[in-house]
Formats: sequence, structure tokens, C-alpha cells
Amino acid sequence: MAPAMWPLLQAGSLPPLAQPMIIGVALLYFAVVAAIGVWATRQTKSASDFFVAGQGIGLWTMAIAAMAATLSGFAFIGGPGLLYNVGLGAVFIILPIGVTGTLGAWTMAKRLRLLGEVRGLITVPDAIAARFQSRAARGLSAVAMLVAIIGYMATNILALGLVIDAIFGTGLTAGLWIGMAITLAYSVSGGILAGVYTDLFQGGVMALASIMVFLYTIKVGGGPAGFAGTILPADAPFLAPWGKMTPLAALSFFFVFGIGSLGQPHVVHKFYMLRDPRKLKWYPMIMSAAIVISQLLFIGVGLAVKALVVRGELPPLARADDATPAFLLRFTPLLLSAIVFSGVAAAIMSTVNSFMSVGAAALTHDLPIAFGRKVGNELLWGRISTVAISLVATFVAGMSGTLVAFLGIFGWGLFASTLVPALAIGLNWTGATRAGAIASISTGLVVTLVFETLAFMKVFSFPAGVTATALALVSSLLVFFVVSWFTRHTAASTLSDDVRFVMEV
Amino acid sequence: MTKRMAIWATVFATCCIALAYLSAFIDGGTRWGVWCMVLGLATMVVALMALGVSRRGGGVGALAVPLAFTFVVLVGGFAAALLLPSETAGARVYLGLPLRAALVLYGVGLLPILVLPLSYALTFDAMTLSEEDLRRVQALGAAHAAKQGRAGH
Repeated sequence: MAPAMWPLLQAGSLPPLAQPMIIGVALLYFAVVAAIGVWATRQTKSASDFFVAGQGIGLWTMAIAAMAATLSGFAFIGGPGLLYNVGLGAVFIILPIGVTGTLGAWTMAKRLRLLGEVRGLITVPDAIAARFQSRAARGLSAVAMLVAIIGYMATNILALGLVIDAIFGTGLTAGLWIGMAITLAYSVSGGILAGVYTDLFQGGVMALASIMVFLYTIKVGGGPAGFAGTILPADAPFLAPWGKMTPLAALSFFFVFGIGSLGQPHVVHKFYMLRDPRKLKWYPMIMSAAIVISQLLFIGVGLAVKALVVRGELPPLARADDATPAFLLRFTPLLLSAIVFSGVAAAIMSTVNSFMSVGAAALTHDLPIAFGRKVGNELLWGRISTVAISLVATFVAGMSGTLVAFLGIFGWGLFASTLVPALAIGLNWTGATRAGAIASISTGLVVTLVFETLAFMKVFSFPAGVTATALALVSSLLVFFVVSWFTRHTAASTLSDDVRFVMEV
Repeated sequence: MTKRMAIWATVFATCCIALAYLSAFIDGGTRWGVWCMVLGLATMVVALMALGVSRRGGGVGALAVPLAFTFVVLVGGFAAALLLPSETAGARVYLGLPLRAALVLYGVGLLPILVLPLSYALTFDAMTLSEEDLRRVQALGAAHAAKQGRAGH
């Protein structure tokens, strides 16, 4: 992803929020999370409990957990700021939610859950390995995921540190380690079981906060028509469908965040956890509704702050990321502000927790199997891996903000370009081959690494609308099809009978 | 047949999207490049859905309607945004937004949510996973577990 997409990451500090009400709500929130962690620890007795919650999660819990893992702090801070900055074009990041819930259900939810039923799979590389009967594909996808997870986790831990620093005034470094320690405490003991039930609570907080803030934005903005009535005379291009972006740049957001969503392991991994596969029937409806509700704040605050600035009721923002704090602290009750800031921490923590689990599984389960070995006590090593990954990510988060932002973008692009072809298409197309999968994962890794690094080092810049992530995703898709075509005579041999049955059922 | 068509449509869509990005390098951004992107995006979304829906050599059945609807909404919404005149100070507002933005936000963003999840749920038993399908999968799982000596499955 090119620097043009760097505003998608939360890397700048927030204004100080240290007020007794905000601190009190945040402490209460952390206490609830700790209580869930203690409960989950008592339930976690095996590696299956630790990594896939023993395949015992209900539909609502899974759908809300998937929603919470999908949204990071960007939905509450970076998103409204980006909308304030570039206009309605920013909405193209969330516009695919109209289709992604059902797209993910049709292409992957059933297949992954049934593969879990047939083979007892617990990770995304497990599914790739089962589909293509390939240890190399498993190993490559695990490596890509680990690299991406460290980068993406570092970005989210940095964002969490910034929020904790803003609420408690701890300083950034202490905020980083406190945020990591809280998330780690419930993740390492209760595993993904703690994660999904914490996500359920956190998702509820996020949805409630989003609805309440949206109602305030409507009130402050002068009703639904008030935004347009205020903004159009002053800055009509802001309300153009692409905002101040080019059409290609806005549509590129739709591609990267819509199709790329199929390759996010922290979300698709949750399909394994559902107790009854037939409950998937209502998954798209719950997931789509939950995401729409949680994105109301994104749109409402972005438009309201712009309207308030045009009306002179707010000074122009020095930094776009100040949009949400500025609106909340001046136009909503303090209790609501406190809930939203806890919601921001909730969103980030739920994403980090999911990465911890997926990363630990890649390290403990997938990489050893790729090298022909199996770890003896996966539960113990899963916990140790969770700590190790978290420590590395937190050290990385303490580096320069620009580097951390780069790693986060790099991580998101890697997920999309390395996993979408082999996973989303590979699980639905019997003509895909092992060579095609390995070539596309390798292409995603190399293209993302090369283009992102060159862009980061300012060796060149992409034209408007073009990003390294998009190029990597397109390249890996093309390579997947071309190599599968040239090796099509091997397609049948890479498919075992039970996997073929799952792909055709 | 449907799977094969869906794969070819996905390949076509990928090429359209690649062409759209290439156009930005060649000419610094072109109108035809944007249209390639619109066509590629709509085709890819619907083709991937069709790929997931079709099974055992069957087609998409009654789901052809919501899939076609999604394609029309995506192409129609983006095309309207490209073709309709730009917003002006006194532009008429629809549900709080100027026409083009309203078509994209409410049309592309929300209309599919009203149709796709419901279509998925209504056809789930017949076209996604029936009780019988699940029983057969569980039998396969039991056979695999016995073969591997995997307990508790």
C-alpha cells in the first residue's frame, strides 16, 4: 500500500482525555475484560479450546466476534478523520460491507467449517494444506501470516498505547506495555475462548457507542439534510461520491477492502469455531447488520465535524485524527465520550487478541508441521508463542511511528495478496493446483515486500489510485490462474476425496 | 458449467482490474481505466459469489436473481456516479445526500444488504447446507478420525 493509504492507520497521538469519568469507565471496562479472561481460563483445557474454542461457539457470539475483529480503532478515530480530510470518497473503505458478509459466507464459511468437521482443522494454513496436500503451501502461508501479524499487531498496539496514554496520561511507552499486558493477560490464559467472549462484550460496546454518537451527529448537524445544506455551498466536491479523491482511488479502496477481506485470517479463522454449521444460515444477516451499525460513527462524525467547521462552530482541525475526540468532548455528554473511548480500546484489543491467537497457531501448529514435525504440547506452546509474538510486536511498536505505519500497511496487504487466491478461490475451484497456490502465495509475498519497501524508501511513488496492496492482490490472482492453467493436469492429484466432497457439497 | 463460467468471469474481472491500474501508469489516469475498474469489480464480486454458490455441477438456481441484482446495483451505482453531473451549491438532497452520493452510499452500500443475506438464509437448506449434507460430512469426519486415531470426533 502506498503512502496515500497511510492515513488508514492510527499513528498520531490523541488529545489528552484524562478526566475522572473517562478514567472510571475505562477501568470498569478493563475489569469486565479481566473477569471474562478469568472465566475463560477455567474453560480452556486443550489446544482445540485455545485455538478454536473447542468448536463450541454460538452464532451470535461468532458473528459479533468476527465483526469486532474486523474493525480496529480505525473505524472510530482514523475513519472519521479520513472522511473529514478527503470527503465522501473515504466511505469506499466501508462501502463493500454491502456484499462482503454474504460473499464470505458463500465462498468460505461453509467450506472452512466443514473442513473443520471432517479433518479437525484449526488454522487457515491447515485448510490450505488440506486443499492442496502441500506442506510447502502450508509453510509459506504460515510465514506470510506471521510476518503480516507482527506488523499489523505492532500498529494496533501502538494505537492502543496512544489511547491509554490519552486516557490515563501514562506516556506512550508505558501505554504500549500496559495495553499489551492487559490483552495478553486474557489471551494467554483463556486463548481464543477469552477472545471471542471479550469480543462479544467489546462488539456490544462498539455498536452502542456508534448508535449513540450517530444520533448526536444528526442532532448537532441539524437533521439528516443539515450536513448537505451546510457543506454543499462551501465545499461541494466534499460531498461528491469520490470526495476529493479520483474515481480510481475510491474504487481501488472498494477492491482492496472488499475482495481483500476474504483473506483476513483473524476473521475467517472464526468460522472454525461455530458449534453447529447449519447456524451459518443467519451469519451474513447478523454480521452485515452489526458492521453497518458500527460504521454509523465513521460516517456521522466525519460529516458532522466538517459541517461544524464550515459553520464556524469548530476551528479547522490541525490533524484529521482529532475529529472524533473534538466532536465527542464538545458535543456529547461526558459519559458517552467515556464509552466511545473505551469502545476504541475495545476495537483495538479485540483485533490484537485475534492476531495473537492466529499468530500463535501459525508458530506452534503450522510451521512445525510444514517441516514435518509436530509440537507435543500445543496448549503450552500456544501460550508461550502468544507471549513471544506479543513481546516482539510491542518492541516493534516502540520504534518510529513511520516504520510502524509501514509495517501495518504491509501486513494488511500481505494477508490479502497471499490468502485470497489459495483460500477463497482454491476452496471453490477443483481446477486450482498446488503449483498455482504456491506460486500465488510467493507472488503475494514478494510483490508486497518489494513494492511496499520501494514506496516506503521513496524510490518511486505510485500514480493516484494505485497502491502496492492492490498490485500485489491483482498479481497473485493472475499468477494463481495462469500457473493453475499450465499445471491443470495435476489438479485432480492434489485433491483428496473428503476435501473434494466438502468443496462440492 | 456454472463453476467454469464463474472462474472465467473471475479471470476476466482480474484482467479488467489489472488494466485499470495499468491505465493509471500509462496515461496518468484515464476514463476507460475507471470503467474497466467498475466492470471488473462488479464482475469479480458476483463471479466469486456464483463460484461459492454452485455445487455438484449444478447452477445458481433461484439465486441468479439476487446475483444479477447485485451486478446491476454495483455497475449502476458506480456508472451513475461517473455519468451524472457534479454537485452544485443548491443541489437537491436525497436522504441527506446529493443524488450521486446517495446512489452510491444507499444503493451500492445498503441495497445489497437488504437482499443478499436474506437470499442466503432463504436458500440455505436447499442450496448451501441441508441436514442430510451435514450428516454425510459428519460421517466422513468420523471415518477420517477413526483412520487417524483422532479421539473425540
